[in-house]
Amino acid sequence: MKYLSIDQCDAFYGDQKVLECVSLDVDKGDVVSLIGPSGSGKSTLLRVLVGLNQPTSGRILLEGEAIDYKNRRSLKKARERFAIVFQQYNLFQNMTVLKNVTVAPVKIQGRPKKEVEAEAVLLLEKVGLGEKLKSYPDELSGGQQQRVAIARSLALKPEILLLDEVTSALDPELVTEVLDTIRLLAKEGRTMIIVSHEMGFVLEVSSKIAFMDAGRIIEVGEPRKILEQPDTDRAREFMGKILRH
Amino acid sequence: MNYTIHFSQVVEYIPYLIGGAWISLQVAFLAFCGGMVIGLFGAMAKTFGGRMTRMVVDAYVSFITNTPQLVQIYFLYFALPEVGILMNSYQAVLLGMTLNAGGYLTEIQRAGFLSVRQSELEAAETLGMNLMQKVRYVILPHIMKVLFPSLSNLYILMTLGTSMAAIFGLEELTGRALNINAETFRSIEVFSLTALLYIVVTVVASLLLLAVGRVFFRVKGKVF
Ligand SMILES: Nc1ncnc2c1ncn2[C@@H]1O[C@H](COP(=O)(O)OP(=O)(O)OP(=O)(O)O)[C@@H](O)[C@H]1O
Ligand SMILES: [Mg+2]
Repeated sequence: MKYLSIDQCDAFYGDQKVLECVSLDVDKGDVVSLIGPSGSGKSTLLRVLVGLNQPTSGRILLEGEAIDYKNRRSLKKARERFAIVFQQYNLFQNMTVLKNVTVAPVKIQGRPKKEVEAEAVLLLEKVGLGEKLKSYPDELSGGQQQRVAIARSLALKPEILLLDEVTSALDPELVTEVLDTIRLLAKEGRTMIIVSHEMGFVLEVSSKIAFMDAGRIIEVGEPRKILEQPDTDRAREFMGKILRH
Repeated sequence: MNYTIHFSQVVEYIPYLIGGAWISLQVAFLAFCGGMVIGLFGAMAKTFGGRMTRMVVDAYVSFITNTPQLVQIYFLYFALPEVGILMNSYQAVLLGMTLNAGGYLTEIQRAGFLSVRQSELEAAETLGMNLMQKVRYVILPHIMKVLFPSLSNLYILMTLGTSMAAIFGLEELTGRALNINAETFRSIEVFSLTALLYIVVTVVASLLLLAVGRVFFRVKGKVF
């Protein structure tokens, strides 16, 4: 039985089919990278996993049990195991850094505030933001906000972390900061699905790469294989373009 | 022009007037708070509710914003006793002003709801917040911050609007001014003093509001 299994999922935006028969298996501790051209459905796939978009057909199974996205209890239970970090951080503007990180564990999971805060401080220190607890998002740089977003998702102790192009809005110096944070998480053995265009980084941290095009996963495999000797012309063309940069 | 200004006669009434100003402040404050609650639920209904709910709220808002407040209060004061609901002037004015504020605040807060960033709501959703938690932790703080200037203005207008209560015999600031005027015939003194008190009341209210805004909602801004 697979840990996380995406089984022939379709998803739509209006009439437009944006995921077509997507299947992907993820083992515990895997770092799976999704790569592919813009608009190929990478973000949509992550959004489907956390129920922001609903799959119109197919199933998603967690340890063999299908998530019922139409059932609130089932969805809530599944969401407790996932955490997603968006491309645009999506921090709560009206809360301090510390509050952003603690609000869900305290107010939603109902854990003791003292304990959560102590943990949050450690997490924020780990991502290099120990000094910024009382700042508001609009007082931080993009890279700092992105790291708060990562800390916020970690505070919920998710089993599976979904990272959507978390470095694409950052300038090169900040990219390093954020990538270092993710490297650390990969070393700790956390299960992650990462969307990224940083091919060097992807090669380094991934246990598996999935290449997407036009809503389909057209190749999955070992990182070096996918990046250097892909089977499909489409992937070869994409790698050629992206690696020439 | 042989009117000589004599404040001495009205000085003794100052505490009485201040007492009236206090009632004005009270009525405005209570009506505003009640209106905020109605407005919050109205805005939630209009944003998240079904077709029927939205229609009911729309009808309420249209009625409130297209009829004079005075008429609304007259209606409560004179029409409701006919169906067995008796109210004294304080209750009628307070209820009328609350319902009136609720209509305007529904519209104001709905605009605030629409300005909440979709991305923050999605983050809240994936963190596991339900609708009430989203309202409480994401939407309300956001709208309080962006709407603060309009809310403050409305509050000041409502404070001044309480003078209407005098018509129903409620002895708030204007009502008491009318009483003193009837007794002393010192109209200029009485009403200039009353105007001054209204200014004091609104300035104090503005300052308090700003302090609240700064401390609780990170509102930036000057008083004048
Ligand atoms: N909110 C939306 N409304 C309608 N269509 C959308 C929306 N978001 C995405 N799409 C469409 O869904 C398809 C997949 O988009 P998605 O965002 O998943 O791509 P992506 O692979 O993440 O691209 P990128 O690398 O640019 O982020 C695209 O064709 C896009 O036009
Ligand atoms: Mg994307």
